[in-house]
Amino acid sequence: MRVQVKAFAGFREILGPDIALELPEGSTLTGLLEGLGRRSPGIQKALFDDQGTPLKSVIIMVNKKRQTRAEFVSRELHDGDEVAIYPPVAGG
Amino acid sequence: MLTDSERERYSRQILLFGEEGQERLKSSKVFIAGAGGLGCPAAAYLAAAGVGHLVIADCDSVDRTNLNRQILHYESDIGRPKVVSAREKLLSMNPDIRVEPLAVIISDNNASTLVSGCDLVVDALDTFTDRYALNRAAIRNRIPYIHGAVSGFDGHMATIIPGETACLECMVPEAPPRSVFPVVGTTPGLIGVLQAHEAIKQITGQGEPLTNQLVLWDGKASQFTMIRVERDPDCPACGGDSRASGRRREI
Repeated sequence: MRVQVKAFAGFREILGPDIALELPEGSTLTGLLEGLGRRSPGIQKALFDDQGTPLKSVIIMVNKKRQTRAEFVSRELHDGDEVAIYPPVAGG
Repeated sequence: MLTDSERERYSRQILLFGEEGQERLKSSKVFIAGAGGLGCPAAAYLAAAGVGHLVIADCDSVDRTNLNRQILHYESDIGRPKVVSAREKLLSMNPDIRVEPLAVIISDNNASTLVSGCDLVVDALDTFTDRYALNRAAIRNRIPYIHGAVSGFDGHMATIIPGETACLECMVPEAPPRSVFPVVGTTPGLIGVLQAHEAIKQITGQGEPLTNQLVLWDGKASQFTMIRVERDPDCPACGGDSRASGRRREI
């Protein structure tokens, strides 16, 4: 299946604005994030803490709806899903 | 009651929401936290729209590095307190309003007292630690809260109605790391004006508030994206329901 990953703000600078990923059927959101992390140390650091737990300060969305931590593990992805990643900006 | 001069000044928007809407703006007290990149445009448009009482809080003085985006501060203001500089420009723009400058640092200790009695809070701060204190103060006082934040070409904003909608900590449960952020003036210009826009809608009762949504501005693609967010039943700030936030108020 094919899932679109859309990156915003700081994460866009690391990953690029938009990439398409081929994933095995039944892949979860956690699986996708871990797969992204394996692509480079920069991506791993932008998504996970030292223990490999997804950073709470990063907003992850599937089809424009924010996902909670609990949903990361349980959320199965489907062909055509759009996953968006937004590390919130903080300046004013 | 509006004066003849006010009827004339606001005639184009009175066509939109009537004298009643304009009177609501006139009798409103809005707390603007921050007189920087977001606070300047937000305050300018709220002053121009005729919000009767603006409270502007910021503890900083004007620095030359502020001038690419903080449009109420001029070269001649360098070294002056931002709230004094902002007040001067806002009153010159609209002498019929009241602008109360507060040169304070917003913290858990004073936020609730500062916003008490205000009708709306505009979050134009630059750290999430301070924002969390302000968010909790708005929840405690049941005051609508318009959140905005920017960096570089990116920004986001959201409207929060305490007890009814997702709060700031429901949306962003942990503060992003603090850093000196790069920024082009149009980014906070855009988000700050959106915050003022949502504030005017909220006060005059026009349209639908941007609640339970985070509006992302991707300035490189020049695109807005709306993200749906829900209340977090375990949110440490609002507890996900109105009873929980009420309980916290008593502690």
